[in-house]
Amino acid sequence: MSSHRRLRAGALGAFLILTAAAAAAAVVPGEASFGPEVTVGKLSAGGTVIVRPSVGAPVAAVELWYRAPSTGFGAKPLPSVARLAAQVVAASKPLVGGALGTVVHDLGGRLSITVYSDSVAVAAVVPATAARAVVKAMTTSFFAPVVTDDGFGLGQRDVEQEALFTGFDPETAVRDAVFSGLFSGGPQHYPALGEPKDVSAIGIGDVRSFATRAFRAPNATLVISGAVDPNVADAAVGGRADGSDAAPEPPAVPTLASAPGPVAKTFVQPSGGYGWVGPAIADERAATAMDFIADYLFRSDDGYVAKAVAGRYPDAFLVGNFITLHDPGVMFVAYSGKDAGAVRALVDEGFAKVRTPLDPQAFATAFAEFEYHMRSDLQTPTQIADNFGWYSVEGDPGYAPGAGGESGAYFKAADALTPDFVATVAQKYLAKDPVVVTMRPQAPAPKGGKP
Amino acid sequence: MTLDFKRALPALAALVGLLGLLGAAPSPPPRYPQAFATDLGVTRLVGEADTDAPVAGVQIFVAAGLDRQAANQSGVSALVAECLERTPVDGVPLRDAIAADGGSITYTVDGRSVHYYLETRPERLPAAVTLFGRALANPDFSSETIAAARTALVKHIGEFESNALSVGIQMFRRSYYPSGAGAPALGSTTTLAQLGSADAQAFYHATYKRAAISASAAGNLAPGLGEALKSVASGLADGPLAATQESARAIPAEAPRIVAHRDVAAPWVVVGFAAPAPASKDFGAMLVLQALLAGAFDRNSTTTLGFVERSVGAFYLYDASPASLVVYVNGTEADPSVSLREILVVSRSLSLKPLGATALGHFKAAAEGQFLTESVNLSDRSYLLGTFASQGLGADSINAALGALEGTTAADVQRVAKRYLQRYIVALVLPRQQNAGT
Repeated sequence: MSSHRRLRAGALGAFLILTAAAAAAAVVPGEASFGPEVTVGKLSAGGTVIVRPSVGAPVAAVELWYRAPSTGFGAKPLPSVARLAAQVVAASKPLVGGALGTVVHDLGGRLSITVYSDSVAVAAVVPATAARAVVKAMTTSFFAPVVTDDGFGLGQRDVEQEALFTGFDPETAVRDAVFSGLFSGGPQHYPALGEPKDVSAIGIGDVRSFATRAFRAPNATLVISGAVDPNVADAAVGGRADGSDAAPEPPAVPTLASAPGPVAKTFVQPSGGYGWVGPAIADERAATAMDFIADYLFRSDDGYVAKAVAGRYPDAFLVGNFITLHDPGVMFVAYSGKDAGAVRALVDEGFAKVRTPLDPQAFATAFAEFEYHMRSDLQTPTQIADNFGWYSVEGDPGYAPGAGGESGAYFKAADALTPDFVATVAQKYLAKDPVVVTMRPQAPAPKGGKP
Repeated sequence: MTLDFKRALPALAALVGLLGLLGAAPSPPPRYPQAFATDLGVTRLVGEADTDAPVAGVQIFVAAGLDRQAANQSGVSALVAECLERTPVDGVPLRDAIAADGGSITYTVDGRSVHYYLETRPERLPAAVTLFGRALANPDFSSETIAAARTALVKHIGEFESNALSVGIQMFRRSYYPSGAGAPALGSTTTLAQLGSADAQAFYHATYKRAAISASAAGNLAPGLGEALKSVASGLADGPLAATQESARAIPAEAPRIVAHRDVAAPWVVVGFAAPAPASKDFGAMLVLQALLAGAFDRNSTTTLGFVERSVGAFYLYDASPASLVVYVNGTEADPSVSLREILVVSRSLSLKPLGATALGHFKAAAEGQFLTESVNLSDRSYLLGTFASQGLGADSINAALGALEGTTAADVQRVAKRYLQRYIVALVLPRQQNAGT
């Protein structure tokens, strides 16, 4: 049995041969929008590489970002296939070296895989001295993905387990429901990670097919941040030799629901939330205004609504975010707990408040807090790499917070915010009827009925 | 899902053997930016400067931690800290005043200290520290503030009590430490209800003294921080600090078991051992043992798991003196009795035979990686810097800890396993429905 598995893996590997020569990244001078400390270039195998060396903890974040629909490329959506495929590739031993998961684990590092509607992020944080080795291991695994039977088994077990845990997370449940209501088609309509049974239903052939198309060097953005040498990306391997993988994937085109209605679902505890579509990432000033609004209302502990909820309903859960996406972005709020109805009233009050201009003093205070939060969220290599990767796959890397430092596009857009403009943006996007999500525990079965 | 340890052990041995064949080239040891030390008179600042960080953070340690609480005052340290954050400065509560100027303040109560973490954009940190010093010199212990502080603490206690791992670790600490260091960090609902303004005042006057202050910083540090910290210390009363009892109960050979019942889905097991202090020559070896015990039995997920998803994990607790090591088993992921037996078998075998060179290298690398990747943001780094420095590792204390880890030998690991891992306390957190049958 085991030799048969090895043969199958070997056959796939023969199909996906790495180019042995010219493996080094052809790094070119950085683009002005990223600032002088950042090197941006093209990998020899295609794809983009962004390197941001920094002083500080001797660690490195090494991340590969791909634009790829979470439900796969086929006509029939396959929820969770992207998540499973990434896990399986990281668990499978490539032709050369160890499986990525093993390499990172043995270094005492951390490996995470996160899937969004139209992107996949594979992220490691490791000792900086191991950055080159991890760049090599990650690109070896993902630029010519090998899917072994053993890797598939391990990956499926892990992702089923993750799906089980995620099923108890109110934020994920509400966010998925909001997206499902706002979008009637495209990967945005489906959860990026479905239920365990969705994961179990995916076959190894689906995983191979997805991995082969999605995990290509030309479709990748490799981001490295931390206490690293600017030339660290030289360790990246080349792409495939078959020449069939020249173009990156285009963004998935979502289909907006024509008349979004309320969404009712069952969940382990009373929960709810709502959401609106917002500006595309290209509308940088409006997108930044939405970030400001989310920060002002919902930032943990400090936010206007968050503070009111914590004071009156200390057991309640509340989160609110603007998710910057290619087109459109999404503002969503999720709350949970026995006082969900009362929490919603406070959330409504908060949104009503931002639809009119804040008074100058309140705006100045809120802006100082927002600016601090932006900075505080840029203090680790992982935070920086996450930003660069996310904004790259969503189509506007120069707008990533941290790109260009304080004179970068994001900080400039923030500096240009005014009370009137924020209110105008709120009025434009947040005055419409939102998709409203209501979740309640399943009613107990009537006595005498079937269990 | 359960973990088959009989399979895990040979797999571990095979992994260790394989690593020996790889022969990785040595790389230079990782180091944090070299720390500096500034004498501020009655206190001292140690810091690591990241010139490109967008913010700066400082931990201000006050020797007013759990070990200074009387037995009947559990929670008073946290109550004072909560009140301090709510103390008005120019009419605005300290926490809001710092936030309004673009910053944050948080606090943590641990065995030896309460430490306040302030973070702002670089040039504003001295002003935030000055604000903090003004509140520190005149804290508000009015009945209204005490009530609000108590409400906030009770909420956090509720979160803590619903976490089986926290409960298990707390059970071990209560059993291990005879002093207040074994008390719950935030007290209990019962003890907090009995604490009032007079208790907070008395604790504050007994502990918040100039000699109790030390500070550590990380990030893009602006000039003026030292002067601001001086003003913090000078706002407090002079005078000596009372001595504390830095001791632990001897762990009996018969391995005591403590049982508690909570609303948890499955049993959790916490095994507590004594452990060396950071300045001890045994520190590096204990870091290796922590990595070994946490990693050898976990369910080998490709991606890194959080503590709730892990089947086995370990924490090295050096916030109190003496230190301790806890290893936990998550009953939702592994059979607790099998896991416990295997952990103890391995602990014993480690004391009987030294690790081979390859295995030692593997677990040292894992320990170093875990140490580094858990100490990245400015809050964690400044905390480690300060707590290690205060325990005798010198100003450049994080790098000193890394050096201790790198210098660890197989004989060290065997010696430390023999000295510390042969006696233990077992804390069991069981689901409530099993109560009737136990």
